Amino acid sequence: MKDISTSIPKMDADDKISGRALYVDDYPFDDLYHAKTLRSTKAKAKIKNIHIPELPDDYFVVDKFDVPHSNVVKMIFEDWPVFANDIVNYIGEPILLICGRDKTIIDSILNQIIVEYEDLEPTFHYVKSVIHKGFVKGDLNQAFQEAIHLIEYTYETGYQEQAYIEPQGFVAYLEDENKVTLIGSMQCPYYVKNAVIDTLGCKEDEVRVIQPAVGGAFGGKEEFPSVMACQLAVAVKKIKHPIKMIYEREEDMLVTTKRHPSKIILKASIDMLNHITGIKAHVSLDSGAYIGLSGVVLSRAMIAVTDAYTINHLDVTGDVYETNTVPNGAFRGFGAPQMIFAIEMFMNHIAKKLKVNPLQFRLEHLAHQGDLTSTSGVFRDPIIMKPMIEKAMEISGYQEKYQKNEQNNNFKGIGMSWFLHGCGFTGSGESKHIHAKVKLRKDEHDHIYLLVAAVDMGQGAKTSLSKIVAQTLELPMSDVSFDYPDTDFITDSGPTVASRTTMIVGGLLARAAQQMKDTWKPHEEMVVTMNYEQPDYIVWDEDTLRGDAYPAYSWGVNIVEVEVSPITYQVTIKNIWSVYDIGKAIDEKMALGQADGGISQGVAYGYLEVMEHKQGKIRQKNMTDYIIPTSVDMANTKTVIMDNPYALGPYGAKGIGELTLVGGAPAVALAIEQAIKREVHQIPATPEYIMELMNHDID
Amino acid sequence: MTLIKFKLNGIDCEIESDPSLRLLDVLRNHFKLTGPKEGCGEGECGACAVLLDGKIVNSCITPLANVHMKEVTTIEGYRETNKYQVLKEAMEFENGFQCGICTPGMMIAAESLLSKNPHPTEEEVRIGISGNLCRCTGYNMIVKAVLRASKKGEGIW
Amino acid sequence: MVNHVIPNTYLDALRYLSDQTFKVIAGGTDLMIQKRGTRETPPNFDSNMLYCFNLKELNYVHKEKLHIHIGSMTPLEVLLHHQDIPEIMKQVIAEMASPAIRNVATLSGNIANASPAGDSLLSLYLLNAEIVLESLNGKRVLPIDQVITGPRQTVISKDEIIKEIIIENPKFSKIQWTKVGGRRADAISKISCLSAVQIKNNKVIDFRLTLGAVYKTVIRSREIESKCIGLTLDQLKENKNTILSLYEGLIQPIDDQRSNRIYRKKVALNIIEKWIADL
Repeated sequence: MKDISTSIPKMDADDKISGRALYVDDYPFDDLYHAKTLRSTKAKAKIKNIHIPELPDDYFVVDKFDVPHSNVVKMIFEDWPVFANDIVNYIGEPILLICGRDKTIIDSILNQIIVEYEDLEPTFHYVKSVIHKGFVKGDLNQAFQEAIHLIEYTYETGYQEQAYIEPQGFVAYLEDENKVTLIGSMQCPYYVKNAVIDTLGCKEDEVRVIQPAVGGAFGGKEEFPSVMACQLAVAVKKIKHPIKMIYEREEDMLVTTKRHPSKIILKASIDMLNHITGIKAHVSLDSGAYIGLSGVVLSRAMIAVTDAYTINHLDVTGDVYETNTVPNGAFRGFGAPQMIFAIEMFMNHIAKKLKVNPLQFRLEHLAHQGDLTSTSGVFRDPIIMKPMIEKAMEISGYQEKYQKNEQNNNFKGIGMSWFLHGCGFTGSGESKHIHAKVKLRKDEHDHIYLLVAAVDMGQGAKTSLSKIVAQTLELPMSDVSFDYPDTDFITDSGPTVASRTTMIVGGLLARAAQQMKDTWKPHEEMVVTMNYEQPDYIVWDEDTLRGDAYPAYSWGVNIVEVEVSPITYQVTIKNIWSVYDIGKAIDEKMALGQADGGISQGVAYGYLEVMEHKQGKIRQKNMTDYIIPTSVDMANTKTVIMDNPYALGPYGAKGIGELTLVGGAPAVALAIEQAIKREVHQIPATPEYIMELMNHDID
Repeated sequence: MTLIKFKLNGIDCEIESDPSLRLLDVLRNHFKLTGPKEGCGEGECGACAVLLDGKIVNSCITPLANVHMKEVTTIEGYRETNKYQVLKEAMEFENGFQCGICTPGMMIAAESLLSKNPHPTEEEVRIGISGNLCRCTGYNMIVKAVLRASKKGEGIW
Repeated sequence: MVNHVIPNTYLDALRYLSDQTFKVIAGGTDLMIQKRGTRETPPNFDSNMLYCFNLKELNYVHKEKLHIHIGSMTPLEVLLHHQDIPEIMKQVIAEMASPAIRNVATLSGNIANASPAGDSLLSLYLLNAEIVLESLNGKRVLPIDQVITGPRQTVISKDEIIKEIIIENPKFSKIQWTKVGGRRADAISKISCLSAVQIKNNKVIDFRLTLGAVYKTVIRSREIESKCIGLTLDQLKENKNTILSLYEGLIQPIDDQRSNRIYRKKVALNIIEKWIADL
């Protein structure tokens, strides 16, 4: 049988290359209404009064008073209002919608609305903790007492905006009097469906969610779409007319979720063999005005504390801080990029302080199969990091370049990051919250239909999941269909997040396909469903954050080569090399494409992408001011995928979605450090920051 | 209101219109084309790119007046050509698309480049698509696809 | 109610301008963004608009012995590949915006927009550009630094249109263009510097330096340049610090969402220092 990794043409090639693919804004509707949002101009205030001008015929206000059941958007933590209550908590918070046919008239109405605010005192910075978590491993106090050295550093990371090229948007219409249908750019059809059911207080079969082609998401369309969907569902029930709401780019940049800014304090105890015996860590995340899923981001960040290393004694705490800024949320990596930047820099900074070779130092701490993870779970599966590191150094010429740059003031640098990423939902998410279920249907022509909720947002899920089914059933791809999810026909296989789609959903589909194969009835209708079952050796305690946080880990090595201009302090990325262990690639070219895209975002997170707020107002609010890489900013990449099949993954596959982003920032930051001979403690390492570092002789 | 005459995807068109309308809106709302997309509305992302007399422009910042007596080509027109076939096969082979939202614009950019420079260097390809933002692919596979198309399409451009 | 007019000929355009107040729009890449409304709505033009981009009579490049005449509606991308356009101007244009923007952007649009960060303006200042302004009443020819008086401010009258840009075509021994943007394409300059020298027999016989995005308008100081002209190369380098402090006095950068004033000043001076040191 053919090796599944061998690349095949993707199923959506025709539609996407020809421009025939329909994204939410492309669907033809006769006579659509439009909706636009009135937003708070205050970071924190009480709404005393809203003066709405007399509305022309057929124009409507939709606000919290129109919400039939629950003015809260159902998500992991339910504190996000559908429409603002009496108190607004961030600039941009949605207060109401104006709906009507003509956008110019809607704009004019919005401009005439006067909101009377009573100013309240906003909070910024890491002051107001709303979630606190902690876990321990071993005995850190003992380790600290016996330490020869104690070394502490603080690291900070900024916002990152997903900047998908397709802005967020939805269309809502009534299929019949009671049924609301929503088409929108999203990652999680059932998150949207369940949120709308909750807000409307209606029955399960009274909401239908259909995925169109999605123009990029990267986590930014994980939970936020539920907010828009609830607003539009309320509106469409009120005005009983199809409504479309697509955000302006600036609006999207100002008000949708971003990567949590962070501050991470790491303190290590070193013994007389120059070995790290323990780490005390504190993670601070800025959640913005509402918590949403910040608690899970915090968990993932904390759990990533020892990254690809084994440290025996840990005391890890974390806080989510509420501020009066736009609420932050999911973005590829989900807390790991912040922590992996911190710990990778920390390992190198400790080595420098101890005057030992950083490579050697890090190798000594590298995790091995059988080691306890940060949360006292076990690395059960083989770890091939050693050969991966060797391979990465070989293809990049790392050692030679590193030595040359160390010995010269050539403003060149090469940096290497090592990292892992837990695949699947953190902790007991899969078994306690998601309960993934997949469905395969065969019609009497023996054509197979995948009926799952996995969203292809560009990562290729349509093709990769179909490939798993086709390979198992030994059928050609033309006998398999995977239409974009429509909740009227599919089962809830869970959200398209957390690097779970290939491993968990693909794994379930492989088993379902096997069952269909074993019980095959030619030319007869068949339906096979399969439910997720957590392997019983995976044990996790959510309260103490102890046990196996993830069923499997993917691993990676990134090497980035840079040149820094001593005149302009700008960084040029010269080359990027990567080696990944994702178990097995379901499609090699697709995996390499994910690798390119992920590292581009990860590296840019480290040196290029700047988003700041001033008193709660985001300063970089369009594609001109928020800088993402163009084709001339991106370097050539060379990526190697090394097989390390995972027994419980389909064809040995583990997760890939987030892995390729999480190591980019430390790799580029370490390269910049070498080039400028100064330590980098914050990202993005912009030219302005580099200039500051270079103009200070002492760090 | 002004009478604007132009060729759209090879067909002569006339519309009586406010000449300040964004070409993007005229293409999408009047002519019901969905290939050009609004990604940013400020001529930065290139998702709205079309060919104007064979050269790439951002339709979101092109007033309808500026296409008067000219030829506009969108992906809908371009996909009927042989050059499109060569580029499409190359994009498929090199995996030059993921979510696809930037792809019609990238195809337009590639055509605009290759029609002027049939044998571009890698650097020239990167410059040719430098006004088209992609968040999914990191660009390299798109660059490879355009280079492949220029090789495979010997004599076409 | 605003009037939108697409003139058929250049003469028609002049007639319209003398008749009513119009804002002239060329490629539109500045005006369409500055006046834009929301998705699917037309720009909020609040004055009569005269769409001149299609006027073929204004799309040309004519080279004479010492000067080059550029029609006001010639797109930047055409200039980039035109054999008669000086290398120094091509280097600047090559890093501006994107191919799509360059296909419709024009020097005249850049002049009328008068942005403190406008890259092409540096080449116009350095090449002693003269701008031909024409109305039905006649023509006047003004040096570029008299046309642009401040950010978004020009002396162009209501009834005037930019007809032509005339630039010198001098010989330079060495030229330098540094654009510092947030990224390597599609970037608004944080700082920019265009400079040129002509050195003969070890003597500086021409020295020109322009700075962008660090003041309300492009900086070019004939005073400082005249101090450099006539020096030997060694003398120039010896006086580097004096020259730098003279330029420092002219630089008044700002803090904004792209960068800060400390960075802008330091980098501008770094660029000038390297330029002189490398000569």
